[in-house]
Amino acid sequence: MIESFRIGFRDISKRYGGNSVLEQTGIDIASHDCIVITGKNGAGKTTLLRIIAGLEEPDRGRVILDDGAPQRWRQQRKRLLRSVMYLHQQPYMLAGSLQRNIDYAARLNPAIADRASSVAKAIHWARLDGLEAQAASSLSGGQKQRVALTRARLRDPQILLLDEPTANLDNESRQRTLQMLREFCDSGTAVIIVSHDPDVFGELATRELLLQDHRIRDAAETAHEVVELDSVRQSRQR
Amino acid sequence: MDVLLASSAEAFRLLFSGDAEIWEIVGISFRVSSLAILCAVPPALIIAFVLAYGNFFGRRLLISLFNTFLSIPAVVIGLTLFIVLSRQGPLGDFKLLFTQTAMGLGQFLLCLPILVCMVHVSLQAADRAAWETARTLGASRVRAFFTVIYEIRFGLMAALLAGYGRIISEVGASMMLGGNIAHYTRNIPTAIALETSKGAFAEGIALGMVLLFLAFLVNALLQYVQGKGSINP
Repeated sequence: MIESFRIGFRDISKRYGGNSVLEQTGIDIASHDCIVITGKNGAGKTTLLRIIAGLEEPDRGRVILDDGAPQRWRQQRKRLLRSVMYLHQQPYMLAGSLQRNIDYAARLNPAIADRASSVAKAIHWARLDGLEAQAASSLSGGQKQRVALTRARLRDPQILLLDEPTANLDNESRQRTLQMLREFCDSGTAVIIVSHDPDVFGELATRELLLQDHRIRDAAETAHEVVELDSVRQSRQR
Repeated sequence: MDVLLASSAEAFRLLFSGDAEIWEIVGISFRVSSLAILCAVPPALIIAFVLAYGNFFGRRLLISLFNTFLSIPAVVIGLTLFIVLSRQGPLGDFKLLFTQTAMGLGQFLLCLPILVCMVHVSLQAADRAAWETARTLGASRVRAFFTVIYEIRFGLMAALLAGYGRIISEVGASMMLGGNIAHYTRNIPTAIALETSKGAFAEGIALGMVLLFLAFLVNALLQYVQGKGSINP
């Protein structure tokens, strides 16, 4: 179970060359959140995720942890790398077997005492039993997604960021992915999903945000519909 | 044709009769070149990594410089180091000229750009997500670095082969920096040059055969390792 936390990103700006991608925007994230971010191609959704993950430095931006004072993004980068996990749209599989991929994540978590048992349990959790020796690169898209989520589970991040996690998945894989994401949220992890198809995450989402004109907006303001599902979050916290 | 056949036959005889001088030359060649490439690998990996993943002023210029060094003649490296290591040179006090260390230094400088450029290309071709996945899973920079290096291991092996091929067979730098001193700095290429100049083709061919055989051996080893590493043949 993840301890309760809050983290805020403020005044995030990012330019690539002469093109502004994000302008003075921000986002608040708390444990149990499941935030879906939508927006047009090139709106900056992936950039925002990468900034939250500590993988890409913004031109400007501050981070507020719980009720602390705002600090520069760079000062918090290490912490972000430690506590946030970013899953690529096409999850990267390390060379070798599925087992090696899962074991790699387990090795990096010092809190795991019995690695072999944790890895076996995680594989079972993802319903990947029997595929341990298979080359990770030869797995299907859905299986790769589950491997990535299994690695994330062993990592136990405060925030899990996913870039189009259900794109190109069949219905069964999509349902399994949603189930796994629900379990992350239930355990207290904040899940942030970038997707062109927010309806897929309808039941899961506690908030739906729109990235438009380089800024994050509450989708409800634009779509005139209630998307803030605090009750869902509160029921999880209970 | 007769000369070639007779020389080859004599070369085989020399090799398999255990001619001590020939095997001593082979030993010097491989000791010096192996040490040179072993010393070049760590800095080459780091430089290639910084060039591939770093974002700093002058990065493109550095890449261009290393690419340019790929085509530098061995004799130019030899000449430059000769000046640096000669008695009047800045490193003259170390008395390294005409030693195996000087030869190794020359070979180090020759293979470094090859390793840097080839590893850099491998890193660029590899998915950057490998680095990011490792980092986001909680790997330290060092751990993530080795993870990525493992991901490009076949490209790295190809770089090692190319680098080794260049230095084991180069004659210019070894001749200038080692001086071709018998039992000390005489390696395969300088010995071939010497024997050929004396008209002793058999010895030259014998040493050439050793070079070819060892090149084949290293390539076969690489193929074997690649075959073992590939889960999906």
